[in-house]
Amino acid sequence: MTKLTIRSELDALRDQLTSSFDPDKRRIFVCMGTGCKACGGDEILDSLDKVLKEAKLDDQVEVVMTGCRGFCENGSLVAVRPQGTLYCRVSPDDVPDIVEKTVESGDVIERLLYEMPGSVEGSARHRISAEKEIPFYHHQMPIVLGMNDRINPTNIEDYIREGGYAGLAKALFDMSPDEIIDEVLRSGLRGRGGGGFPTGLKWKFCHAEDSETKYIICNADEGDPGAFMDRSLLEGNPHSMLEGLAISARAIGASHGYIYIRAEYPLAIERLRIAIGQMREWGVLGDNILGSDFSLGITIKEGAGAFVCGEETALIASIEGNRGMPMPRPPFPAVKGLFGKPTNINNVETLGTVPHIITGGAVAYAAQGTDKSKGTKIFSLVGQVNNTGLVEVPMGMSLRELVYEVGGGVKDGRTLKAVQSGGPSGGCIPASMMHLPIDYESLAQAGAIMGSGGLVVMDETTCMVDLARYFVSFTEKESCGKCVPCRLGTRQMRMILDDICEGRGTEDSIAKLEALGGAVSKGSLCGLGQTAPNPVLTTIKYFRDEYLAHVHEKRCPAGVCEPMFIATCTNRCPGDVDVPAYLSLVAEGRNEEALLSHMERNPFPSMCARVCPHPCEKQCRRETVDSPVAIRAVKRFMVDASTEISVPVMDRPSDEQRRAAVVGAGPAGLTAAYFLRRLGHAVTVFESMPEPGGMLRYGIPTYRLPREELERDIERITSMGVKIICGAVIGETHSIETLRKDFDAIFIGSGAWADMSMGIPGEEGCGVASGIEFLKKTELEPTIPISGNAVVIGGGNTAMDAARTLMRLGASSVTVVYRRTREEMPVQPEEVTEALEEGIKFEFLVAPVEVIRNGNNSVVAIKLQQMRLGDFDDSGRKRPVPIEGNFVELPAEHIIRAIGQKAIIPNGGPSASKWGTVDVDNFTLATDFDGVFAGGDVVLGPATAVEAVAHGRRAAEAIERYLHPDMIAHFPWIKPRSLDTTFDPTAAPLEAPRCETPKREPQVRRSCFDEVEQSLSAEDARLEASRCLRCDFGKTFVSREEVKPC
Amino acid sequence: MLNVSINSLPVTVEEGRTVLDACRAAKVYVPTLCDDPSLEPYGACRLCIVKVDGMRGLPTACTTPAADGMKITTDDNEILEVRKWTTQLLLSDHPLDCLTCGQCGTCGLQEVAEYLGIRERVLQPMMREGKIDDSNPCYSINMNKCILCGLCVRACDEIQQIGAIDLSKRGYESAVEPFGGGPIKDSFCESCGECVERCPTGALITRNFLKPEREVSTVCPYCGTGCRIMLGARGETVVSARGDKDAHVSQGRLCVKGRFGSYEFVSHPDRLKTPLIRSGDGFREASWEEALALVASELKKYRGDTFGGLASAKVTNEDNYVFQKFVRAVMGTNNVDHCARLCHSSTVAGLRMAFGSGAMTNPIEDFLKADVILVTGSNTTENHPIIGLTIREAVANGTKLVLFDPRQIQLSQIATVWARQKPGTDVAWINGLLHVIIRDGLMKTEFIESRTEGFEDVEKLVAEYTPERVSEITGLPADIIVEAAHLYAKAERASIVYSMGITQHTTGVDNVRSLANLAMITGHIGRPGTGVNPLRGQNNVQGACDMAALPNFYPGYQLVDSADIRAKFSKAWGVETPETPGLMVTKMFPAVLEGKIKAMYIMGENPVLSDADVTHVEEALEKLDFLVVQDIFMTETAKFADVVLPATSYAERDGTYVNTERRVQLTKPVVAPPGSARRDLEIICDIAAAIGYPMTYESTSDVNDEMRSLTPSYTGISHARLEAGEQLHWPCLSDDHPGTPILHSEKFARGLGLFHPIEFIAADEETDASFPIILTTGRMLEHYHTGTMTRRSKALDGLVPGPFVEVNDKDAINIDVKDGDRVTVTSRRGSIVLPARVADRVDRGVVFIPFHFWEAAANVLTNPASDPTAGIPEFKVCSVRMERAPELN
Repeated sequence: MTKLTIRSELDALRDQLTSSFDPDKRRIFVCMGTGCKACGGDEILDSLDKVLKEAKLDDQVEVVMTGCRGFCENGSLVAVRPQGTLYCRVSPDDVPDIVEKTVESGDVIERLLYEMPGSVEGSARHRISAEKEIPFYHHQMPIVLGMNDRINPTNIEDYIREGGYAGLAKALFDMSPDEIIDEVLRSGLRGRGGGGFPTGLKWKFCHAEDSETKYIICNADEGDPGAFMDRSLLEGNPHSMLEGLAISARAIGASHGYIYIRAEYPLAIERLRIAIGQMREWGVLGDNILGSDFSLGITIKEGAGAFVCGEETALIASIEGNRGMPMPRPPFPAVKGLFGKPTNINNVETLGTVPHIITGGAVAYAAQGTDKSKGTKIFSLVGQVNNTGLVEVPMGMSLRELVYEVGGGVKDGRTLKAVQSGGPSGGCIPASMMHLPIDYESLAQAGAIMGSGGLVVMDETTCMVDLARYFVSFTEKESCGKCVPCRLGTRQMRMILDDICEGRGTEDSIAKLEALGGAVSKGSLCGLGQTAPNPVLTTIKYFRDEYLAHVHEKRCPAGVCEPMFIATCTNRCPGDVDVPAYLSLVAEGRNEEALLSHMERNPFPSMCARVCPHPCEKQCRRETVDSPVAIRAVKRFMVDASTEISVPVMDRPSDEQRRAAVVGAGPAGLTAAYFLRRLGHAVTVFESMPEPGGMLRYGIPTYRLPREELERDIERITSMGVKIICGAVIGETHSIETLRKDFDAIFIGSGAWADMSMGIPGEEGCGVASGIEFLKKTELEPTIPISGNAVVIGGGNTAMDAARTLMRLGASSVTVVYRRTREEMPVQPEEVTEALEEGIKFEFLVAPVEVIRNGNNSVVAIKLQQMRLGDFDDSGRKRPVPIEGNFVELPAEHIIRAIGQKAIIPNGGPSASKWGTVDVDNFTLATDFDGVFAGGDVVLGPATAVEAVAHGRRAAEAIERYLHPDMIAHFPWIKPRSLDTTFDPTAAPLEAPRCETPKREPQVRRSCFDEVEQSLSAEDARLEASRCLRCDFGKTFVSREEVKPC
Repeated sequence: MLNVSINSLPVTVEEGRTVLDACRAAKVYVPTLCDDPSLEPYGACRLCIVKVDGMRGLPTACTTPAADGMKITTDDNEILEVRKWTTQLLLSDHPLDCLTCGQCGTCGLQEVAEYLGIRERVLQPMMREGKIDDSNPCYSINMNKCILCGLCVRACDEIQQIGAIDLSKRGYESAVEPFGGGPIKDSFCESCGECVERCPTGALITRNFLKPEREVSTVCPYCGTGCRIMLGARGETVVSARGDKDAHVSQGRLCVKGRFGSYEFVSHPDRLKTPLIRSGDGFREASWEEALALVASELKKYRGDTFGGLASAKVTNEDNYVFQKFVRAVMGTNNVDHCARLCHSSTVAGLRMAFGSGAMTNPIEDFLKADVILVTGSNTTENHPIIGLTIREAVANGTKLVLFDPRQIQLSQIATVWARQKPGTDVAWINGLLHVIIRDGLMKTEFIESRTEGFEDVEKLVAEYTPERVSEITGLPADIIVEAAHLYAKAERASIVYSMGITQHTTGVDNVRSLANLAMITGHIGRPGTGVNPLRGQNNVQGACDMAALPNFYPGYQLVDSADIRAKFSKAWGVETPETPGLMVTKMFPAVLEGKIKAMYIMGENPVLSDADVTHVEEALEKLDFLVVQDIFMTETAKFADVVLPATSYAERDGTYVNTERRVQLTKPVVAPPGSARRDLEIICDIAAAIGYPMTYESTSDVNDEMRSLTPSYTGISHARLEAGEQLHWPCLSDDHPGTPILHSEKFARGLGLFHPIEFIAADEETDASFPIILTTGRMLEHYHTGTMTRRSKALDGLVPGPFVEVNDKDAINIDVKDGDRVTVTSRRGSIVLPARVADRVDRGVVFIPFHFWEAAANVLTNPASDPTAGIPEFKVCSVRMERAPELN
């Protein structure tokens, strides 16, 4: 190496490096970013050396260490080129295989390939081999990070070979400082540190200052939790930032640069030092760079980890050796900055972008992005997302695309709740706003900020109140303490959030948070304080109901705020059933007590033991040991094993007793009736159908819910004195007005019985029926024979129930037609499995376009449009898009459409929302009619039975408060529990695998309506119940008895 | 000027002012808790938020520069809402114990909360468990009341330039603490109280604080800087002190003595309240009639040169004028002197010889204009703290400091050059500087030729003083001499500052004249930022000299042995005044021992502690036939008296004081004298009348008028002009003369400046095998002179309760002494025992003892050998030995 003393030597060196570089040579690229290094990067390098040597391949195969490739979730990453295979989660042990199979034979090692999250084993998109095809990389646009995957960050020659320092040479010899600034201005580059101030303008201001000494500072004090953009760029390609720094220095007239980097980034600092040393050696740093009149020195200044030192005036104070505290601006650093001299401060990413703009030109750069936000932005994508890592995408990409395409969607198939952008000063953007394009203005409008590019993905297991508390406690700790609103305001907000999370909050707490948050943003000195309330204000704005649940109901819907619940399973249960209580009672063989405990909160144990989607099991902490407790199976045993029990009715003075009417004898209505009756009121249920049970009876086939089991549940309710009048249609046989006169309060639980039409030709007429219509008919006339081919359209529970019923009724073939793929089906996955076992066929990615009828107007086939998956929609599923001109026909005599149901509001009933459901207060379920409440499907739309049960109880409580506004409501089912089961908290968890529910053989069950699921044996049930880890043990929590009427 | 509008009200402000300044100019109240006009804007309390048309958000008025045409709104609902929440936040973090809080009523937080109409705390209290630091006897720190406005930290840094306290930790944990977090008493804190003064809440508060009923501006009773204090009183008790922000000299700043030690002694129970007459070994109380009659009848016996009087540098010009008039006109002798003899008599003599006037040539504020300040023999930051601050401020602004001092004083930390010469070798190094300046052609030839005479003799003499030779004498490296010479000579404006380290030598006059040579050779005199500036040590030592409490002058340095002048005074006073100059104080006590002086009148002096070789002073006082002591406390000297007369303190009288820069300042009484104490001049007038020379004055102003009529340099300095706020430096030759802040600007007082060739002469007493160590004495920050006032302040006495000797750590090892161990220090004249402070403040072979403490009086040891011209004793050099003292039981 000789020092480059004139520009032409740089060009000559690059030519020489390029010509001696054989692109077809076999190379193994090992990622050595901090993440991959931590996963064994060094060992992999050593092992590769050794194995290649042993295989005598070391002269034919080059091993290259690179900087961070962003896909840290899957580290260590090893790429084999030129074939372009990327291996994920490589361990040093995998090295011999890689060398033997891939390098020597060109084979792909399946197990090391990237696995698509949520994809089914064996499907085409399950494992991906080519690096470029992996959606994570495929949707990125790596301009700044572009070189990270192919250069060795400790070798300046790699950088020069890839075009490095050409920008600096151009800026030194072909452009005047004004021209450089102009170019950057025209590129539209804005500060990537978060402020988004136009970079060129910043330079211009500093350039305009008349001073002999000026400084340029690179802000590498990346302090946001979970953000590592700057770090990865510095570790992976330090020269791009350094070149940008030199160009900026040239433009503004600075002769010394500082890099302010946090000491917690040792690898980045080490690579920067190497890079700066090499710059000096090669002559691109120091006096008279490349023979020009431009000289530059660079000093690395290690910060001590104060978050506030990312703020530029605090950063300057820190470099000067003072306490890192922000100063009011003006004067701006461009006028009076470091040591009182004009200073330009840019973030790492900003400076890293500059060489591309100078080399490639402003126009090319500005071609990317949106009108006001140009180019690309690097994000660190973290949280509950499948592909966490570092991504560079063009500005203007939608949040949805970023989360689902690049990020591979939410982990473990859960639902996206919100995205938090901009670090602790950012804001939360709810799932409903995922269409927002990522640019400075859109994010700001949503109440968030771009920040330095941290993006945290959150699902339903994140409590937004707790999240706000987390971020505020971060800013509280990191506040420099100088100004009052930030120092005390963040603390006070955190204290209020503590109150809310710990059950002491009131509605006033929320109001105070909003008022304080506003004052802190407006009153604080620097950006830290001004933005600190963002997480609080945005979560209140978008998730107020969650706050209200905390303050009104002392409930944390996400199951995060520990003092709010006794166990996560119970918290997740819509019916609030005390799961650990009945599990531990069953474990001791006390089945009746267990059942009574269940009945306290949910009067449908038999039904729930069979058809409940058991969200409790999803939250079961036993999963962290092996797999969740089979809660529903235990409950099934409990119900089967118990003899009848009776629930006491409150002995109430007659002057407190009231009369309540319930419309609809479904799960919501009967539950409301049950609890109102327990409170001692007289309850009459009006049911339009001949028998009570609602959708449980007319919508769920008997092989899932035998009628005698349903009747056991109903029987318990009627035996308490609830009167059910069947065949009474409200709005026809009885008017709402009369009911309001005759009763003191009314609960409407009329359900969602209306079906939705497909709106295609041939739909009307014989041979086509709706799923709900079909199931109802089957219930009324259990023996209608079916023959021929049947097609069921839809992917939900009703579709599956209809299909399996058709099969049992004798259809020669049953095909379920769904417009997306199996992965997107809303039905419980085990139902699909069971259906497949029973011989039901599935056609995916097809949508009905016409029912084909013959001359007799009989259905003969259905014409289907073939679909492909397009963009993601708000639900996080890919939208089906028609493939033009591709149709298929499926022979069918029976077509069942099961694509959705709508609520039925009784004639003359309360007002409807825009979704056609009854409009109610979220907490009291009160309608706009005084004394009239509503719940279940008529409010929720088609939902689960247990949600209907939950609504029934909530309504009963609200009705009691309505009926006795002056009394302190007292509900016997909300009382401090006393559980006398034995439990040894010091013992190790019982070692036993999950006990699955036994099922009838498919061949048997496909032709009869006998119940599919069977009961556990007593021994199995007790063992299974004993697997419960008893998270509730010894726990104190906020009693909901304290809940004040709202 | 900028035109801005505040709430649609037009107002003009100067360029460079802030929006807050504009609001204040418009008399619009904007709440703020962290702003102080003397400090840089900070922007932390966020209460002064306003709206400015065209600006985003709510900028703080204190940090936003005013701009022409700005439209500012100071309160609207949004602004008030944010201010209310901000204040609520402060209240949520504040103990609401206002009833028992010392700051109640003057609390800034209270004021803001009241203004905003806040009547309840709506946020939950944060229950801070802040540190309470009561380690400093002057003030306490209660972090529970701290609002972190940073005023204290900034005052300590920006005003005091100490940085003893800083903000530590982050976020809510932020606290004001000394570095390292220990107790404040172990920090660099100088207890100046600038922080306490500014604290808007009770977080920093004077210990045992009492709120005054009324406040009066007075001149601080300590050093010669002339800071003004707002003394606060309740009834006739002085209870508080704070800086007078309107004072020209001090601008509100005070040192620890001024702020915490200036009031307690005034109302101290030890004050003398009635005349006392010796009775056996003790005293009995007597009526004024009896006491005055006794004094008059006794003094009558000693008229003429058997009488000697000591005046005081602590009383007003008027008291001193009357005293010396009494000695001369009534007692018929010029045997009058005062303690200036012990501090700056060499200055008065030396500078008079060289320039024709023996006072500081330039005002204090000139130090800020100097490019180089040469400080020697002055521990400015301790002995003249506010002047020290000015020097520190100048250095912070870029002035270079050249320091010649044997001790490692605070200024040595900020000096560009610190030369640590051996005590008593000043003439040598000054000659060395002159040598280098001449050798390197750095002298101002034109100035020398046009303004001075006698240069050639100096040139010839200093040729011998090569840096190498000087190095041998002084122990200084030769290159330091060259560097110092170059810095001083090459400066555009360079100022010399000196004090006792130069004057208290047998060669004191030589030292002073050498410095004069230095100023003249470089032309650094007669212009702003230059000059030869002796810093005077007592609040009216300049005035006492000016008033001729000196044996050889009449007021205004009019020579006693000038027939014309004597005639003028004889005529004015109506008696024949004595012809021959009298005895200096250093000659009076030997004269007593010789039997020449038989009676003395000592007003406000304590020679038993302050004079060199006090054993001899005690012997002399014992021998006197009659001694009257007039003072405010029963001093060590008063104990020898036949009659003790109770006098007034500075807080109880009016009159004028002259500070070190010749500025005459008028003060008013704050309280009435205790008991039957009377002011000095009244007592003397009564005695004079009793002896048969009636002296009657209607008022202090009358005394001043008589003095002015006889003293040309004071002619224009009337009480009326001073009362009107005029700042007058003498000479002020007529009623419309503006005074003379800078002396010798056109020509020297004596015409041409006179160079004196001075050979180096070693100190009177050199070290030898028996007395191998050099003792140097002086003052310290927390105490003053013989401690009669400062040791009666709980604050000051708490800070430094007793004597000590500074010993170099290596010397300490030799005698097996650790910090705090007691040592015996012995000179040829006596021996004292006191604890050692072991550090590197003094060089090897040198010890330092402050002379404030009677328990171990440094002047037991000092050498009475004195300068032949000025009579000043060699306090700064004598030879001692030191050994470990026996353990106390």
